[in-house]
Amino acid sequence: MRAVKVIERMLITVPIMFGVAVVVFLFMRLTPGDPVDIMMGQGGAVGVGEMERLRSEFHLDEPLHVQLWLFLKDAVRGDLGYSYTQKRPVSELIAQRLPATIELAAGALFFALLLAIPIGIVSAVRQRSLLDQFSMAGAFLGVSMPAFWLGIILILLFSVRLHWLPVQGRLTFGVSLEYVTGFYVLDSILTRNGPALVSSLKHLVLPSVSLGAAVAAIVARVLRSSMVEILRQDYITLARAKGQVEFLVVMKHALRNALIPTVTVVGLQIGTLLGGNMIVETVFSWPGLGRMVVKAIFERDFPLVQGSVMVYAFTFVLANLVVDVLYTYLDPKIEL
Amino acid sequence: MLATKKTLLACVSLITLLALLAACGPTPEPQVVKETVIVAGTPEVVEKEVTKVVTEQVEVEKVVTPTAPPGRDVIIVGLSAAPDTLDPADHRNRQSETVVRNMFDGLVTRDSTSGVHLELAEEINWLDDVTLEVKLREGVLFHDGVEMTADDVVFTFERIILENMIEYPEAHTSPRKGLIAPLESIEKTGDYTVVMHFSAAWPVAMQMLVHQQIVPKHYLEEVGTEGFVAQPIGTGPFKFVSATGLDEIVMERFDDYSGGAPDLEPVGPACVRQAVFKVIPEASTRVAALLAGEVDIIQGVPAELVDTLAQTPGVQVKGAAGTQPKWMEMNVNMAPFDDVLVRQAMNYAVDKELIIEAIYGGRAVALPGTLSPYNNYVNKSLEPYAYDPDQALALLADAGWTDSDGDGTLDKDGQPFSFTIDTLEDFRPLAEAVAGQFRAIGIDAGVRFWEYSVVKPMLQAGERQAYLDDWGDSAFDPVGHFEAKWHGFVEGEPYGRGNFSGYNNERVNELIKLGEITVATDERQALYDEAQQLVYDEAPAVFLVLPEEAEAARADILNWTPASDSRINLHDVCIAP
Repeated sequence: MRAVKVIERMLITVPIMFGVAVVVFLFMRLTPGDPVDIMMGQGGAVGVGEMERLRSEFHLDEPLHVQLWLFLKDAVRGDLGYSYTQKRPVSELIAQRLPATIELAAGALFFALLLAIPIGIVSAVRQRSLLDQFSMAGAFLGVSMPAFWLGIILILLFSVRLHWLPVQGRLTFGVSLEYVTGFYVLDSILTRNGPALVSSLKHLVLPSVSLGAAVAAIVARVLRSSMVEILRQDYITLARAKGQVEFLVVMKHALRNALIPTVTVVGLQIGTLLGGNMIVETVFSWPGLGRMVVKAIFERDFPLVQGSVMVYAFTFVLANLVVDVLYTYLDPKIEL
Repeated sequence: MLATKKTLLACVSLITLLALLAACGPTPEPQVVKETVIVAGTPEVVEKEVTKVVTEQVEVEKVVTPTAPPGRDVIIVGLSAAPDTLDPADHRNRQSETVVRNMFDGLVTRDSTSGVHLELAEEINWLDDVTLEVKLREGVLFHDGVEMTADDVVFTFERIILENMIEYPEAHTSPRKGLIAPLESIEKTGDYTVVMHFSAAWPVAMQMLVHQQIVPKHYLEEVGTEGFVAQPIGTGPFKFVSATGLDEIVMERFDDYSGGAPDLEPVGPACVRQAVFKVIPEASTRVAALLAGEVDIIQGVPAELVDTLAQTPGVQVKGAAGTQPKWMEMNVNMAPFDDVLVRQAMNYAVDKELIIEAIYGGRAVALPGTLSPYNNYVNKSLEPYAYDPDQALALLADAGWTDSDGDGTLDKDGQPFSFTIDTLEDFRPLAEAVAGQFRAIGIDAGVRFWEYSVVKPMLQAGERQAYLDDWGDSAFDPVGHFEAKWHGFVEGEPYGRGNFSGYNNERVNELIKLGEITVATDERQALYDEAQQLVYDEAPAVFLVLPEEAEAARADILNWTPASDSRINLHDVCIAP
């Protein structure tokens, strides 16, 4: 039954993706800026008729509805066109960079949960204690710190000053790695490559912390509030009255129920982690999708922006579906 | 019991936190390292090599690069942006050229300033104004060992000038066609001789040929463009090894290299074994990567960091003459800038020397009018407008602008002198400094920041008052630059493509067109001298400054000279033993 529902939900993504495609297409075309003029830059000469030729090559001289039709016709066949500037198929460029973005988002999420769950629990259990106040102040700081600022401070401290962690990139030059999936950590494990594993993990730390700090802060606060609420419930009192060990009361009875709102927030934050990584990818020179999209937007590289935004949208829809499925496990009363 | 459990829980959480923090810590395993310590505080910088056992993080005052270098025969360059492609014919992107020119040579090349030198061409002769004969060097090898001949040169240029010659990912014409627009055809006249036919005299040919590199016909015909961009082959000093999405490009020395331009020392194979380009778009990160020893050379050092880096032991900073003059264009068709006296007054109101010192740390020059002082055709009789606020006020008074109501702001017919400088975020310090100087003489100047693509249509429609920006002239010739910037706008043609002042002087337009086809150097100089004088006098812009392009490198990088045209010439670079 659940599988049928999941398939149903997957099918709903098709019209969503269609809508996203049309909206992105129109927004990009309505934004001022001529890709050909930007491509010509400042230097050198431009031949008479050269810009018209390029516009016609990119079909920019066609009416909007014709351009949209050409785009959709190719898109349903899985052809997202080719990048105006890089002259390579968009799908190939995205496939090349998506693993880096997902790996960073996963690293950030891992860091965020690793930090937020213990803090959230302890703050709720030890409500109004010094630890609680300290943690919540830390959470407030985490939400308020812009990722680029935090990133640069971390680089200055841990890379330039202490030399503990690398400044940029995904792998130290000279460390070889056989690419299997494009996820460096996973590839290192799959190919049993110790040095690559160490190097890729070290490279992942600072970007993950910068990207995950705000998420950690939000999750910790949400978890704390729901835990505080649940610890006041009768069934918790009952569990304690029955002589249940406090650790189990908190972890088994309270945490599981407190996780429902937390999972919702985490699900939504996945969007932030994927969409908000442009800045962190730039600061840490992380070769992911975000950096490429920003460049493509400034260059008005329409096919590349369209393709990338569709991938973002699809990932976001998928993350929400995963969250919904998780609900059914956390609370059997909830149905898809 | 309950309290104990809570404490236990808190402890578990704390331990988790501490473990996380500790994970970021060093692993104090004893290891023997060799490092270069630069002793500061002595009159000279002394370098010595030490071998010691490291058991903990060693605190050495002002040692900048204590981490082990990646290998002393490997040089890593931090680029500010990624190249678009490694196909020399399929981009319109300066950064691509920066990388590509280390793997491919051209018929001619440029030194670190504006001089053009023969590279793959042994001899170049103009048979007449529109026919160029090129004799090629013999024995030049591509990276696969095949000799370069006239067939490759013909193929290279036909691939650029003929329609739809690049078949991947869809058939299209080279975006570099416009850079050699007058080239109509090219023919092979011998195994090592080609003749190029131009549609008209093209005085800037040598400067523009620098930007086209020779590709192997046999290889491209065999593997196609798709195969070629995946594994490019040229005749340059380095051969391609690998590229990770063009964010990291690894090359290794080509031992059979022809040596490059014979009259540019050093000649012969490259010094370093491997050369790597790494893309690090954020300037602070690039600087941090240099300080942490992860890269050897970085491009695009921000002006505000130049002085700090130059004083950092273990780091050297060098500047190359810039190629992007900066100015504030004024809309000559809109009040108050429709009055030439006002525009001249604006030029006198700006203290360029102060700006050069305060914003660029002295690493910039004031513009003597429209062209960079390093341009081959700059009018040498022109001096930058002097800073003279009294003269500015006198000119403004002549134009009718005085502070009649004593409120500190100039006014005319009851209207205050108020305007907005539109600009891009990149120019924030300069725009704000200039606005401040206008305010100092009673002009209410504000600054507004835009994205270029958004503001450009408004500028070309003449809807804005003033725009502060730059425009490149990396060919060191007025062609390309004058057409775009100071020629009146012509729809559908390249003329006035970047003209945001609305300036349109018939005589200047005529001079620009003559300059395009006049071959004799002194005649050309006279044409451009007149054009520059006219634009200078009519002042459609406040001519500001030309900052240096700063690059930085580790102190042990030898023979490294930043180039004005953004080429990073890794062929010459060595690493101190």
